[in-house]
Amino acid sequence: MTARTAGRRARRASGRSRAWAPSTLRRLAGAAEARPAGLPGSALPGPFPVGAYAERLRDELRARARVQLFGEAWNLSVSRAKVYFELRDARGAVPCSMWRSEWDVLGLAPDTLADGAVVVVAGGPDYYPGSAASSPSFSFLATELRVAGEGDLLAQLDRLRKLLDAEGLFEPQKRLHLPELPRTIGVVTGEGGKARDDVLAGLRRRGWAGRLLWAFAPVQDRHAAPRVIQCLQELAAVGGEGSDRVDVIVVARGGGSLADLFAFCDETLCRTVALLRVPVIASVGHHTDRTLLDDVAAVSCSTPTHAAESAVRVDCAEARGRLIRCTRRLESHSRRAVLERARALAGLERAPAEHVHRQRRRLHQRLRELRASGRRQLAEERTVTDRRALVLGRKATGAAVAVQQRARDLDRLALAVAAHDPERTLARGYALVEDRAGAPVTSTRAALAAGELSLRFADGRVAARTEDS
Amino acid sequence: MDDILNYERATARLEEIIRRLDSGEAELRETLDLVKEGQRLVELCAGELDAVGRGLEELRLDELVARLEAGPRQDGPA
Repeated sequence: MTARTAGRRARRASGRSRAWAPSTLRRLAGAAEARPAGLPGSALPGPFPVGAYAERLRDELRARARVQLFGEAWNLSVSRAKVYFELRDARGAVPCSMWRSEWDVLGLAPDTLADGAVVVVAGGPDYYPGSAASSPSFSFLATELRVAGEGDLLAQLDRLRKLLDAEGLFEPQKRLHLPELPRTIGVVTGEGGKARDDVLAGLRRRGWAGRLLWAFAPVQDRHAAPRVIQCLQELAAVGGEGSDRVDVIVVARGGGSLADLFAFCDETLCRTVALLRVPVIASVGHHTDRTLLDDVAAVSCSTPTHAAESAVRVDCAEARGRLIRCTRRLESHSRRAVLERARALAGLERAPAEHVHRQRRRLHQRLRELRASGRRQLAEERTVTDRRALVLGRKATGAAVAVQQRARDLDRLALAVAAHDPERTLARGYALVEDRAGAPVTSTRAALAAGELSLRFADGRVAARTEDS
Repeated sequence: MDDILNYERATARLEEIIRRLDSGEAELRETLDLVKEGQRLVELCAGELDAVGRGLEELRLDELVARLEAGPRQDGPA
C-alpha cells in the first residue's frame, strides 16, 4: 500500500467516523460478545457485528425525512405481503415497496400500474436488515400512491418513433440486399447472455459454419447504446468491400421489460443503424416490446434463434443436395443432347445405304418368290401332265382293248356273213335262179313272168326257159 | 460482376437454366452453352457453400480490431 493510498483511506475513515456518533460506536461495539481482531493497520473503527450495523443502518434510514417522489413505475410485482416496483426517470431510479394492506386500499385496477405509468408516492427510505437466512434489501417504502398519467418515457419514445419515421429512417435498411448465404456474420450481444447460445443454435439448425464475429457489449443501462453503436460501426468497417467483410449483423438480446430494452431505442443508435451499409437484423426482446431498433433494422425477429435463421436463409445441407441434383441434371442434359443428335446424324448417314440394302433385299425376296412360284407352277404343270399322261395311257390301253374287241367282233361278223354267203350254199348243191338282169327270182310266178332264167351253180351258169305246165 | 457472383442470383439463374433444358426446346448450341453456364454457376454456389461449411470460425471483434490496429505498427514503414 502506498503512502498516498493509505492517507486517502485514513481520510475516508475519519470522514465516515464523523458520521457515527461516539455513543453509536460504543453501542455497536458493546453488541459484540466475541469480536475478532480488526484489520492490521486499519484506522477505521470496528469490527462490528454486521447484524447490529444493519439494524443501525435501518434506523438511520427510517429517520430520514419522509418525502414525495414522482417518476415512472416499472416492473411491478405483487407478493403476499408487499408490492414492489421501481420508480424511474431519465436521471435515476429507486426501488420501491408498499405493504399489501396499503396497496389494496388504493383499489387500483390490475393494469393501472403498467410499465411507464407516472405515479407520485409518499414515504421514506427503508432497509430490511435481513438475517442469517434471508437477504437484506433497500427500498423506498411508500405509504401512499397516486397514478399521474401516461409514462413520459413511452411518450418520448413515441415522439422519437414518429420523428425517425418522418425522416424516412425506417427505409434505408430495408432497401439493403440481405444475402441468403452470408460468409461472415457479425453478432452484437451480451457476452454472458443466453442470446449468444440461441444465435449459435439457429446457425447450427441451418448447417451454417462460416465466420462469426462476436461483438460483445452491455445490452441494458446507459452504457449499452454507445457501446452497441461502436460495435456496429466497427463491424461494418471490417474487411471493407473485400471478401472478409461482414455480410450481415445480428443485434441480439433476450427478453426483458421495455425499460430494460430502452438502450435499443436510443436515437443515435437508431440513426447509426439506419445509415449503416450492412443489413442489421434486430432481435431485441419480444414483439410485444417493440424497440425503435426493430423499426429501423432491415429485419426484426422475435428471438435470437430466429434472427440467426433470418441471417442465413439457406439450409446448407438442403442447398448442397439441390446443387448435386442440378449437377446431375446438367450432365444428363449435356450427354443426352450430344448423343441424341449423334444418333440422329448416324441414322441420316446410314439412310441411303439402308435404302439400297432394303431394296436389294426386297428384290431378292421377289426373285425368291418368282423362283418358288415358277417351281410351284412347273410342279403343278408336271402333275397335270402326268395326270393327263396317265389318263392318256389309260385311254390308250382302253383303245387297244376296244380295237381287239372290234377285231374280234369283225371276225365274228365276217364269220356270220361268210356263213350267209350264197356261194357257200351253191357249193353245197343249191342253184340260184336269176332273171336276165341278174335279180334273184324267188317265186314261181316271177319265174313264169320272166320266161327266161339263168340258173347259177357253184361252178357256173345255165340258161333256162320256163314253160307253163 | 458482383451480381453474377451473388449466391442467390446464381441459384436463381441455375434453376432457370434447368427449367429451360427440361423443356427440351433448346437447340444443341444453346443446350451446350446453358450446360456450360450452369456448370460454372454450380461451381460458384459450391464454393459459397464450402466457405460456410468448413467449420465455424468464431472471432471476437475487440481482438480483431486490436490485431488490425497493431498490424501496421508492427510492420512499420517500409
